[in-house]
Amino acid sequence: MFVPLSYNVRSLLVRRATTLATAVGIALVVFVLASALMLAEGVEKTMGSAGRPEIAIVVRKGSTAEMGSSVEEHEVGLVKSMPGVKKVNGEPIGVGEVVVVASMEKLGANGITNVSIRGTSDASASFRPNVKVLEGRLPTPGADEAMVGMRISGRIKGLALGERFDIKKNRPVAIVGVFSDDGSAHESEVWLSADIVKSSFGREGAVSSVRVELESLASFEVFQAAVEKDKRLGLTAMRETDYFEKQSEGMSMFIRILGSIVAVCFAIGAMIGAAITMYASIAHRKREIGILRALGFSRLGILASFLFESVLLALFGGVMGAAAAFGMGAVEFSMLNMSSWSEMVFRFVLTPKILVTSLVASVAMGLLGGLLPAIRAARTSPLTAMRG
Amino acid sequence: MNEVSPAGEPLIRLRGITKEYTRGGETLRVLENLDLDVARGSFEALMGPSGSGKSTLLNLLAGLDAPTQGTVEVDGKRIDQMSEGKLASWRSNHVGFVFQSYNLLPVLTAVENVELPLLLTPVASSERRKRAETALRVVGLTDRMGHYPRQLSGGQEQRVAIARAIVNDPLLIVADEPTGDLDRASADDILRLLETLNRDLGKTIVIVTHDPAAAERARITHHLDKGKLRA
Amino acid sequence: MTFLGLAAKNLGRNKVRTGLTVLGVAVAVLTFLLLRTVVSAWTAGADHAAKDRVVTRHKVTFVMTLPKRYADDVRKAPGVKLSSWANWFGGRDPAHEDEFFATFAVDGKTYFAVVPELVVGEAQMAAFLEDKSGCIVGDMLAKKLGYALGQKVTLESGIYPATETPWTFTVRGIYTATARNVDRVSLMFHWDYLNDALPEARRDEVGWIMSRVEDPTRTADIGAGIDQLFDERDIQTLSQDEHTFLKSFMAGFSAVLTAFDIISVVILAIMTLILGNTIAMGVRERTSEFATMRAIGFLPKHIAVFILSEAVTLGLLGGALGLVIAFPLVEGLLGRWLEENMGAIFPFFRLPLPVVGLAFALSVALGVLASLLPARTAARIKVTEALRRVA
Repeated sequence: MFVPLSYNVRSLLVRRATTLATAVGIALVVFVLASALMLAEGVEKTMGSAGRPEIAIVVRKGSTAEMGSSVEEHEVGLVKSMPGVKKVNGEPIGVGEVVVVASMEKLGANGITNVSIRGTSDASASFRPNVKVLEGRLPTPGADEAMVGMRISGRIKGLALGERFDIKKNRPVAIVGVFSDDGSAHESEVWLSADIVKSSFGREGAVSSVRVELESLASFEVFQAAVEKDKRLGLTAMRETDYFEKQSEGMSMFIRILGSIVAVCFAIGAMIGAAITMYASIAHRKREIGILRALGFSRLGILASFLFESVLLALFGGVMGAAAAFGMGAVEFSMLNMSSWSEMVFRFVLTPKILVTSLVASVAMGLLGGLLPAIRAARTSPLTAMRG
Repeated sequence: MNEVSPAGEPLIRLRGITKEYTRGGETLRVLENLDLDVARGSFEALMGPSGSGKSTLLNLLAGLDAPTQGTVEVDGKRIDQMSEGKLASWRSNHVGFVFQSYNLLPVLTAVENVELPLLLTPVASSERRKRAETALRVVGLTDRMGHYPRQLSGGQEQRVAIARAIVNDPLLIVADEPTGDLDRASADDILRLLETLNRDLGKTIVIVTHDPAAAERARITHHLDKGKLRA
Repeated sequence: MTFLGLAAKNLGRNKVRTGLTVLGVAVAVLTFLLLRTVVSAWTAGADHAAKDRVVTRHKVTFVMTLPKRYADDVRKAPGVKLSSWANWFGGRDPAHEDEFFATFAVDGKTYFAVVPELVVGEAQMAAFLEDKSGCIVGDMLAKKLGYALGQKVTLESGIYPATETPWTFTVRGIYTATARNVDRVSLMFHWDYLNDALPEARRDEVGWIMSRVEDPTRTADIGAGIDQLFDERDIQTLSQDEHTFLKSFMAGFSAVLTAFDIISVVILAIMTLILGNTIAMGVRERTSEFATMRAIGFLPKHIAVFILSEAVTLGLLGGALGLVIAFPLVEGLLGRWLEENMGAIFPFFRLPLPVVGLAFALSVALGVLASLLPARTAARIKVTEALRRVA
């Protein structure tokens, strides 16, 4: 025989302040957990959406990122001519780009940060079909003009539409456009003509990376074998998707691990809070429980009833926490990406999975926190009702 | 049933007492234009049906509550106009309280419970303990000093409460249904104890009770009905 | 019996609740300590950076190098006592693909004089200076990767790809550090060795120049003076003392640090909620006792102090328990593990004393905060009504 659920709901409502305090505690836990997962998701999405599996990227062996890599100009043609590369009208599709970072002034925070600058050429656009100019226009090839990714625009001094920044002393570059790329890491970069980057940064004769389009997904192995066969070349090939995944691996793991540790510690605290509340609630209702027992409700029924009450309490907190985490969707998180040493902006991305995880976590907290008190309640003797 | 008051200045003098409570916007008149004298060294009982205002009256003369109108004078001092803080210190020096459900602190032993009121006085701690032990001796609980309330019977608990009430050597002891929770035998014990305190130590005692046996012990019994004293 | 004794006794009334509350506070204090230790270990580099050392680098980006002749000019700049230079080599040991450690090409003769916190034995130093392909490694790195004196180490670099022969070095020295917060997982080798092996076009370039100054209070002026030397040259420089440099570098992680701060505050909020809830429950259950005490003559302020001291005791106990758990955990297990395995980021992962003090003070302060509302409620009870409810 089970106790009607409305009994529990009313019990929670009667003790409004305590219920609220406990639920807020659980809400905070769920909020932190969800936020950490959302950020990790955001990092992965940002990095993941920059890559396509049919693109291969070639960098210097030993480099973990484009920035630290250097590929001689004459090697670019060599790479493009490797087997497995797609050809249109007999011309292999590939592009060598130079990526550097420049120190720039952060707006709103006193400090200098590093901004990725990508030297592109005409072929670059075909490798990123999602790039759209949101405001302004494309830079004129060869002119001292640049466009800036939407995420970084406005965060750094000189990187807003119509402004200019010094790429080297007395060489200002005008920002003529702001672009988007479906949330990818490119949205935190500045793009301008490769020639200008090379000459301004003393990188004549070399690029950072070579991208090629593959004939098919399967031709990567052939291409990779060809690139890495020549030991003297000292180059390594990766699928673009793998490359970006590797870039984000460390950071998203860092966020996930740290977030989980903090969430676990928090959860212990919140469970203790729930247990305190439930113990008090049960002590307060000792007589009621005795009466219920005397009326014929089983121990199991009482146990289930109080567990339900605890879960309900926790779920109430969980919903509050998840709602608060929903608000984090509007927040942007900007930090140095440790693998490219440049400023990158991430968003908190809420997925249904994260939502479910958070609510499940709150239910688990309610169950675990309520278990001992519920057992105590179930042990109440029907005689308690008589003693008063 | 009413006896004539003993001669001399009364210890307690209530004049024109009216007490009103407001509950949910409704004004409830509990006591109405009431006069009462309690003589020094007397043992008086207040009786009456539930809601007749007897507990309220007790609270007023013990300085727990202030009247809406009228004056309360105890030992020549007006207490109806005292500030909360003054009143509290007045109570601690002049009144001992005994409650129906004893109201001992469960975390303290018998002797510590008795000591409690002395914490408010500048008495040294060794002296406090001595006085508490004396008070317990008076109520006949020397052998239960280290016991916690839950280890005592109801009658013993009430005796501890009485010891707590006399430890400050008050002018006045007020008791609100002191025998209400007790069986006949224990109740008689308590009443005998109060009688002794009145007779041998000269304490003025006012009790509120439903118990005719309790009222019989009192020298004077006042009957209250709907906020007025029945002549 | 005393007044405070009475407050303490009340905590023994509901042992389960008191125990759970203390545990809750302890967990919160522990989490708080862990987070703050991460922050402090992370920023320790900047906080303890030498203030008498000025680093001069390319004005636009640290990826770009400076001509080596700049180093000679810097040495002669006013206020500069000693200077040296280094290049970021970006090396990785292919035998330990996943291990990250810093590798620098340094001017062997001057580098260790400018960076005195790195200590190398005299004989080892002499052996290093003798051997052009020699290198010096941190003791933690040597321990982790099993590098021993005389061992050959081959590195790959994306910045300086090997041409004819791979980059091979011989371990000639192992350095220790004078302070716990110094990175002990780096590898340094001769800049000359790198320079000579580079193609003509990339020769005679240095990554940065570091100088020790005569007057540490004037680093900003001296740095500005250095930058002025090169203002009209084709490459401009940016000179900052190490402290400022690392601070501006840390600014890149300000969002992370902000997140840590927010989480720390959230922990404290949870702690306050747990404490407040417990105190409020205790007060509610004891309404009649407080009323009795008031009748006897205790004042509202007595009752408030009573509740406050209960809360403070709870906070103290919880804080103490948290510290008791945190010390062996951080100092013994976690700290040692992090220092050994993530030495590059956390060279020194220990509980900082000010943080310990802060955590303890906060657990008490929040006890007070949490009890304010319940204490007010208790102090304001209507004595006659509370007594009536009992009777």
